[in-house]
Order: sequence, then structure tokens, then C-alpha cells
Amino acid sequence: MSQAAKTAARQVKPILSLNKEEARKRVLNLYKAWHRQLPYIVKQYDIPKNIPQCREKLREEFTKYNNIQDVRVVDMLIIKGQMELKEVVEVWKQKGHIMTYFKESQEPKPKDFISKFLAGVN
Amino acid sequence: MASILRQFAKTLIAPTARNAVALNAVRFKSTEPAEVKETRPTVRKADIAARAQLKDFGKYCADCLPKYIQKVQITAGDELELLIAPEGILPVLQFLKDHHNAQFSNLVDIAGVDVPCRTNRFEIVYNILSLRFNSRIRVKTYTDELTPIDSCNDVYKAANWYEREIWDMYGVFFANHPDLRRILTDYGFEGHPFRKDFPLSGYVEVRYDDERKRVVCEPLELAQEFRKFELEAPWEQFPNFRGANPASEEVDIKKTQK
Repeated sequence: MSQAAKTAARQVKPILSLNKEEARKRVLNLYKAWHRQLPYIVKQYDIPKNIPQCREKLREEFTKYNNIQDVRVVDMLIIKGQMELKEVVEVWKQKGHIMTYFKESQEPKPKDFISKFLAGVN
Repeated sequence: MASILRQFAKTLIAPTARNAVALNAVRFKSTEPAEVKETRPTVRKADIAARAQLKDFGKYCADCLPKYIQKVQITAGDELELLIAPEGILPVLQFLKDHHNAQFSNLVDIAGVDVPCRTNRFEIVYNILSLRFNSRIRVKTYTDELTPIDSCNDVYKAANWYEREIWDMYGVFFANHPDLRRILTDYGFEGHPFRKDFPLSGYVEVRYDDERKRVVCEPLELAQEFRKFELEAPWEQFPNFRGANPASEEVDIKKTQK
């Protein structure tokens, strides 16, 4: 290993996972746990969504972080995801908190010229 | 004897300038040097005697735990602070709790400080109290966003909620905490509000939607000036203290060669 690479690879304290493979397994476990919980979420929270829609949203929420390479950042996200799952399972959250994921009240930002012009955005 | 007394009385009644100087010189020699006496009534007077003891205790701790204690300082006149490495948080706290001459059995508070310009931007401050010796001490350590700190819940049971609070407000992860989850923010809240780069208005706003008959959460349009984070206050808070003494004074803990 060259000198520059040696100094760049700093010795850090791991949060949960020691390598990428382990982090990947943890992500998959978390994904599966959420996936199994979805039917109960739909039933308990009485949200106006069906299970396939929820699955799609779950996938979207996970693939949002596709490009993250740092194991410790992944670990931190896993911890936060785990805490959120617990809040959902224990019904500490309410319907409004669940529906926040779907962002229904937010209008999509104007993209092409004419809609931007009509919205008054440059 | 009577003549000596008379002599003394004479100087008391009519002290010449020469006598006064001599008396002052004697008094200065007998006390600690270079201590400016605090006369302002609104400023707390530091306890000089306690301060010498605290310095000794700080040196003693540094001798006992040379691996972890990096610096010992006295702040605000008579408050002892131990600055330690993050790996040493459990041994140091356990030592301070169980050592017979310390007995800091009471965790008063755990606080966090965010200084974004540092490499390790977060400072974690443990305030502990010894009921046995009526003494307080402050233990400080440091971390960054991604480095976990050992939870001291096994040493002090009181640490449970304080650590949850630090996790919630700053996002510092505590390893081996039994029940680490949010404590002050709402479910679904994103971000850690006490970080210096968290905007004053937050990232989202919450309102009741009449059409949907429920509370909805929407991202906030941040004005451009909100995105510039001014980490220093725009005015000087304490102009009277511009020339004041430095807040902390380091205690020399150099290892003596044996």
C-alpha cells in the first residue's frame, strides 16, 4: 500500500459492522423485517394504501441510499431504520407519521419550461 | 513587655508610610502570589483553598490513569475538569465512582457541545458529584458524527435518559446502551436539532390538512440566507469580559521519571 493510501485509510472504531458484507446482511435483514411488517401496518394504521403500494414505497426508501459506500454511514442508517421500525411496530407513531412517507400533500416541483413559467419559478 | 506593647500601639495609632509598606510586604510574602482579590459584589469568589486541593486531586487522577487523561484544567476559578480520550470513558468514570478518596457516586448531567470546525466536532461533558466529599468534577471527552461512544449506563444508571437526549439532539451513538431511542423529538422527525448546521426553522413544517382530515408534514422552503450558517453570534455577548482572565487554567501533569 502506498504512503498516501495508508494515511487515508484511518483506523476507525466500527459502529456495528466490520466490513461491507456484514453491513449488507444487516441491510437485508432490516428490509425483510419491514417487508414482513407491511400487512400489519396497513391493517393497524388504517392507511388508504394497499400492500403493493407500501412495498414499492419501502423499496424506494431503501434504494434512496444506493450510493453510500461508507460502512459506518450504512450502520448509522440501519440503526435509525431499526428505531423507526420499532416505533411503527409498537404503534408509537400515528397515521399521519406513516403517511408522511408517501408525501401526498406535496406537489411535484415544476420541471419543464412552461410549468416553471406558470408557477413563477426561474 | 509593656514597652513593646506601647511601641505596637504607637504604630497602630500613627502608622507612618514606611511602616505601612513594611506591613504590606510581610502580608504579601505570607500568602499565595499573584492572586487578584475579587471585590465586585456580583461576581462569585473562587474558593482558593478548594482550588489547591482540586489541583492535587487532578494530578493524582492523572497519575493513576495516565493512559486516558490527556489534560487537567481548572475552570471558572475552582472547577476541576478532566479531559480524557473517548476510549477511557468507562475506566475513568468507574475509577471516580469507586475510588475511596473520590466517591463521585452521583451523575448530575451529561451535556453535549457542537463545535463544527474541529475534527472531532462533538464534546460530551459528564458532570459528577461526590456527596461524601461535597465536591464536583467535570469529565470531558470528544467524538464525531460516526464514532460511537461507550454508554456509561452500567456505571451510572442515571445515564440512560441523558444519553438518549444526546443521541436525539446531536446524533452521537452510544454503544451498548440498553434502550437508545428518541426522547424529545417527534416520531418521524429528521435531523438532530442541537447540531450547529441545523437551521433554526427546521427542515419540515407540520399543519392540519382540512381535506385529508389529518396532520401533514411538508418540507420547508429554506430561503437562501437560512442556508448560510453563521456559527458565531453577530454581537459580542460579554464586552465587559474582553480583557478577563482565561476561563481555564491548565494543571501541569507531566510524568515524573522514576
